[in-house]
Amino acid sequence: MIRYFAKRLGIMLVALFLIMLLTFCIMHAVPGGPFTSDRNMSEEVEAALNAKYHLDRPLPEQFFEYVSGVLRGDLGPSYKYPGKEVNDFVENGFPVSARLGFVTIVFVLLAAIPMGILAAVKNGKWQDMLLMAVATIGVTIPSFVIASVLIYVFSFKLNVLPTYGLDTWKGYILPVVALGGYSISYMARLMRSSLLEVMGQDYIRTARAKGLSEIKVILKHAMRNALIPVVTVLGPTIANLLTGSFVIEKIFAIPGLGGYFVTSVSQRDYTTIMGVTIFYASFLMAMILLVDVFYCLIDPRIKYE
Amino acid sequence: MENKWEMLGSSNEDREKIWSKNRTFAGDVWFRFRHKPTSIAGLVIIVLLMLFALLGPMFTDYSYSTQNLEVVNIPPRMKVYETPDGSGYLYVTQALKVVQVSRDGIMGNQLKKVREEADSSMTIFDCSGTEVALYYGAKPYVIADPQTRVIYPSAHVWNKSYVLGTDSLGRDILTRLMYGTRVSLMVAFVAAAVNMIIGILFGGISGYAGGMVDTVMMRIVDIISTIPLTLYVILIMVFLESGLQSIIIALGTVYWVDMARVVRGQVLSLKQQEFVMAARTIGSSTRTILLQHLIPNAMGSILVTVTMLIPSAIFMEAFLGYLGIGLKPPLASLGTMCNDATENLRSCPHQMFIPALVICLIMFAFNFVGDGLRDALDPKLKK
Repeated sequence: MIRYFAKRLGIMLVALFLIMLLTFCIMHAVPGGPFTSDRNMSEEVEAALNAKYHLDRPLPEQFFEYVSGVLRGDLGPSYKYPGKEVNDFVENGFPVSARLGFVTIVFVLLAAIPMGILAAVKNGKWQDMLLMAVATIGVTIPSFVIASVLIYVFSFKLNVLPTYGLDTWKGYILPVVALGGYSISYMARLMRSSLLEVMGQDYIRTARAKGLSEIKVILKHAMRNALIPVVTVLGPTIANLLTGSFVIEKIFAIPGLGGYFVTSVSQRDYTTIMGVTIFYASFLMAMILLVDVFYCLIDPRIKYE
Repeated sequence: MENKWEMLGSSNEDREKIWSKNRTFAGDVWFRFRHKPTSIAGLVIIVLLMLFALLGPMFTDYSYSTQNLEVVNIPPRMKVYETPDGSGYLYVTQALKVVQVSRDGIMGNQLKKVREEADSSMTIFDCSGTEVALYYGAKPYVIADPQTRVIYPSAHVWNKSYVLGTDSLGRDILTRLMYGTRVSLMVAFVAAAVNMIIGILFGGISGYAGGMVDTVMMRIVDIISTIPLTLYVILIMVFLESGLQSIIIALGTVYWVDMARVVRGQVLSLKQQEFVMAARTIGSSTRTILLQHLIPNAMGSILVTVTMLIPSAIFMEAFLGYLGIGLKPPLASLGTMCNDATENLRSCPHQMFIPALVICLIMFAFNFVGDGLRDALDPKLKK
């Protein structure tokens, strides 16, 4: 198992290196330098700027310098905001995004698992139909549509929830629901089908035969196995929430990293795009690896080769 | 029966014959597919939307880029005031202009402004000889008789000139919706086709070659699949400048990984079977075996993967459009239309909800068709 995870770690590092190379190449292949798109600058100023950001050196040297910077945890300066470091964006934005993401994950789990259980227990009845209809709608609606509908109904028409910011607990409600909508629907469907599958197995019949109450059968016997597929999709769900936060942070004007990233993309702030991409990618890969380790710990039957 | 040894009539000869008509594989799939109402509904929605997107623009009087700043943010259902002579209606635009509307909802000319009466918050317009006043002191703005200050009777009419209203630049939403649907569907179809080709070739070669080639190719797939797709697409979009081709390139090159895995799995199991050995024995080339024997047999899973891929591409395109890194204006896609409407969400929610509804419809339809196809192509999977 340790060998398996070592291999995974190796793949991850190669992928990270490739991302760095890819972002670096893309950023340097963009027509014109990062400073040409602005106003008309005199050639001396441009040369001075290029020298300041080491853009006059040969590319391999720049790349080497950049990689060694990243390894030391330094993502370099921002091109568009003089004096700002990309690290500043990450340090300011990431805690906000992480808090929103954490609340959303907790909310998703708390909502999706009971939904899935209820649908599976009431298999074929109206509760099941209703929940699965909602879940089907949930996976087909983009998060920005959910967010707009929520804002329109709860902020503009009913005037009970704020449209932006995370200052109070009320501010969290709309972004969390909009961000988690897809994941809740997806997970509830997964929970339902996996619980239904487990409920058909022999050991459940044994548990029922020895006279356990239905609640005990489901919560103590069936759930342990039924939860495993749900844990497997936790990794992709985290990825989904992270990229979903680009849109949600834009709509709700939340000062998170996703918002910074989108702004830097539309402003073509190349170093920020590179730095944040690398940060996101490494964070995501680490989370997915962590979920896999966790997955392996809760299910002793799984043996990785 | 007296003589037990009597010859049987000729009619009994083909007792063993199979009378039912032979059904082809495609016929079988279609039979199973059409017995699921949701799949048929999905298929009908897709066909209707395609007709709407392809033929619709022939029937509108507007182009997707024509701006008419005099009729900005007009809703599909307008609140109008009767003209003094009762022959038609008057509509107050958000820019405080007054437009004539006929009885059945066709928008006419703008009224000419006569003078401004700022001290009583009124603007006086000339309506075919009579003066009418637009009172803007309090919301909602009303049209009244300037002398008696009696508000003219109001009514609601459906907008016939702009059936779905206009956007913040005075462009017809219905026309833009047609073009937007067209762009979104086209991006999705082309991206799906490109991904299918890359995935089939990559997975097919990897699965058929086996050994070291397979290991290396699958390791590449492993590495690529750890890179978050959204980040990759955004990076490509930054590099390529926004535009239709860029989106197609970006989306066309990200989703093939799943396809490659599916095809490889299929090819791995299929290549062990006798018909492949037979083909090899008669001397078919690798190319022929791969393209004529293995891939057609794997087509079922490939089709299912493609129909599941199309909604992801549409989702991603809408996502990019909404972030404002998709198409270049004035081109419209469903995502950019939603993005343009965000600022006006409070006053003109229809601008947002109409394209959003179309996105949801497309997503629904493709998901249903994908589910139906999966069940039809592989009944074993059906629960």
